[in-house]
Amino acid sequence: MAAQPKRGGVSLPERRPVSKPESNILARITSSPIVSRGKQAASDAAFVSRKLIRSTGKAAWIAGTTFLILVVPLIIEMDREQQFNELELQQASLLGAPPTAPASK
Amino acid sequence: MAGVVPPGATTVPADDASKTKKADEKVDYMNLPCPIPFEEIHREALMSLKPETFEGLRFDFTKGLNQKFSLSHSVSMGPTEIPSQSAETIKIPTAHYEFGANFIDPNLMLIGRVLTDGRLNARVKWDLTDNLTVKANAQLTNEPHMSHGMFNFDYKGKDFRSQFQMGNGALFGASYFQSVTPHLSLGGEVFWAGQHRKSGIGYAARYETDKMVATGQVASTGMVALSYVQKVSEKVSLASDFMYNYMSRDVTASVGYDYILRQCRLRGKIDSNGCTTAFLEERLNMGLNFILSAEVDHSKKDYKFGFGLTVG
Repeated sequence: MAAQPKRGGVSLPERRPVSKPESNILARITSSPIVSRGKQAASDAAFVSRKLIRSTGKAAWIAGTTFLILVVPLIIEMDREQQFNELELQQASLLGAPPTAPASK
Repeated sequence: MAGVVPPGATTVPADDASKTKKADEKVDYMNLPCPIPFEEIHREALMSLKPETFEGLRFDFTKGLNQKFSLSHSVSMGPTEIPSQSAETIKIPTAHYEFGANFIDPNLMLIGRVLTDGRLNARVKWDLTDNLTVKANAQLTNEPHMSHGMFNFDYKGKDFRSQFQMGNGALFGASYFQSVTPHLSLGGEVFWAGQHRKSGIGYAARYETDKMVATGQVASTGMVALSYVQKVSEKVSLASDFMYNYMSRDVTASVGYDYILRQCRLRGKIDSNGCTTAFLEERLNMGLNFILSAEVDHSKKDYKFGFGLTVG
């Protein structure tokens, strides 16, 4: 389906011209303007949503890998630093009060 | 190591903008601090934003034999990029071993490195007096016409630094950097490359306080480089850098962080070319460092990851 150049970039596929009227009632219903308009709208919606999903997917991939490279090591290291600090604090409080410990016993 | 200037890249004449203003602030203009050397003005920004990322395995072992003398062994294996005409990057797996010897004295420093592909690097730094320093740098290769060497003569005055450079291929350069106020230093450089019949002139400025460093550099080769580093706390610093080449209309901006924690050092940066890098040095034990490096280029779809160990 070729896209007619409207404003540059992506545009919807061009619409098929309306075909000749039929004698059958079912054929008349399916070739009526409402039904054909509805079918056109549905295919346009499918086209647009496919493009949207693809570009969202690409953006999500780029954002995800960049987050993984830049932010995840930082979170891990800051967490380790915090644990190390807590351990030091604990050890300092343990070793920092030896004279009072036997007195309290 | 700071202080090594690639040949043909910079230096040229000393056109400086030193003015002594008699201001009404209580600043002693006769006692300004000595500025840092001209080639190091972007040092803080480069340290944060351009870590030495690598691809593959890297193992460095440094053994000190003496207080002054040490040997180093280094193994690196991994894909190396070779320059190609097409847009595709071609990588070929290579491996090499590098042997090095260092002699470090307060006045004299000698460093030599030999690689298995026949390249030899040598660096000499000799402090003749308190103020005069001679530096020499040589790179020899097997391929003809690819070897180069350079001599630098540095003179450090009370509040200025000047340097004269001579390299092979008739490369001459000079630079001058002067402290104008306790925070601001200005300077310039001139270079002349005889082989390519090119000459150029450049100016640079550096404003430094306790919390931040801002530098700017303009050169007649078309390069404009600005950088800003903010020290947010004693563990964290953020840096950003802007480079513009007005001849080739090339623009690059990058932002990065540098976290210096007790057990590790983590540097990350993101670029306007769609390239993000991260470099982690983790201290496993005394003298044992584990390094991880990652470089992801979304626009060229080039992914490089490396790991290594540094001992000593």
